[in-house]
Amino acid sequence: MEISELLAQAANLMLTGMIGVFLFLSILIFAVKALSKFAATGQELEQPNVKKPSTKSTSTGVPAAHIAAISAAVSQFRQNN
Amino acid sequence: MEGLLNLWQATGVANLSFPALSMIAVGCGLLYLAIAKKFEPLLLVPIGFGAILTNIPVAALSEPGGLLYYVYYIGIDSGIFPLLIFMGVGALTDFSALIANPRMLLLGAAAQFGIFATLFGAILLNFIPGFEFTLQDASAIAIIGGADGPTAIFLASKLSPELLGAIAVAAYSYMALVPIIQPPIMRWLTSDEERSIAMPQLRAVSKREKILFPLMVLALTLLFLPAAAPLVGMFCLGNLMRESGVVDRLSNTAQNELINITTIFLGLAVGSKLAADQFLTVETLGILVLGALAFSIGTASGVYMAKIMNRVSSNPINPLVGAAGVSAVPMAARVVNKVGLESNPHNFLLMHAMGPNVAGVLGSAVAAGILLALVN
Repeated sequence: MEISELLAQAANLMLTGMIGVFLFLSILIFAVKALSKFAATGQELEQPNVKKPSTKSTSTGVPAAHIAAISAAVSQFRQNN
Repeated sequence: MEGLLNLWQATGVANLSFPALSMIAVGCGLLYLAIAKKFEPLLLVPIGFGAILTNIPVAALSEPGGLLYYVYYIGIDSGIFPLLIFMGVGALTDFSALIANPRMLLLGAAAQFGIFATLFGAILLNFIPGFEFTLQDASAIAIIGGADGPTAIFLASKLSPELLGAIAVAAYSYMALVPIIQPPIMRWLTSDEERSIAMPQLRAVSKREKILFPLMVLALTLLFLPAAAPLVGMFCLGNLMRESGVVDRLSNTAQNELINITTIFLGLAVGSKLAADQFLTVETLGILVLGALAFSIGTASGVYMAKIMNRVSSNPINPLVGAAGVSAVPMAARVVNKVGLESNPHNFLLMHAMGPNVAGVLGSAVAAGILLALVN
């Protein structure tokens, strides 16, 4: 095949390709916006990148090991004084 | 005496040819880049080693009956390995930044100009004697600009399997070079003021949106571009497994074990394509040049698109985030963040760059689908 003919095909492909990509992703933009509106009806929001505080320590209060260490220190202090 | 001669004939020394030796050197070079320079080591270690294995004389590992032949035949010729990796990438990808600011998809689209401009450039190279790229070859080479390894391998295996080795090596090498290739282009095309633009904080995204997003992308692919269905389909499956929250075991497997196992074999199979007669050609040189061009054009068009959007949009857009549209997740987004911080030390662009970054993954999958539909 002649190079010029190939070049014409490549140029054509470049044009259709870019139009295709833009069209597809533009449709996706509208779809995502519609999706957000749809999802906004009810549903609680979830914060991105914010770690929830670990529930372990809050549910059980101060860890048992800490209490043991503190009470040992207190009794030692009382014995010494 | 005859036995000794036969034994000599079976040694590597007697059968070693100069081209094979050079390819073993190329394999060692890739290993050096991976181990000493940390260039995409996950891929370049198996690729480099595969290149050495395939060039071992007498052993014929890449001939029918050899291990690498079957690994290639099963995994790449069929297109399965890149698709499995794409599922893992889907499971690793968080689309919140894109769902919160869907206009960023335009940046992912603009950066694909790198692909299509390079396609034209590859055909232009045919004017130089020694180059004879067909439209299929040119498309497979151009997809390097998508900065997405699995997509490049998938498309090359379908359109131009004989160039696959060079294309995969170029794609992964340039992805490792993103922090070197992109910043000068980004600085050149933007002013210091533009680079300091702070962007408004992204809104929170609900779980329902995140679950419905992959299903919606799949629906659009089904309606408008079925040729991209293998890539987009596997990507969406991985992402749905991640976001649905009900199949954590499957999602973790896709993100870790499966993607790792596949990476080992994908790398070996790509390495098996680095045979002397296919790699030591002037065309490989052309592919390396075109790959760098594709990356640069993609970066530039992303930045330009972001500049235009910044002018017309009511919300400020930092033009740097356009560079992340080439995909290469998450490297390109990190580069944007770094260059942004140079101009404004309080301006963290990482989350804003993740939007165009994941849009670039979708964009290059769509571009691959279009090329498959039109060129195949």
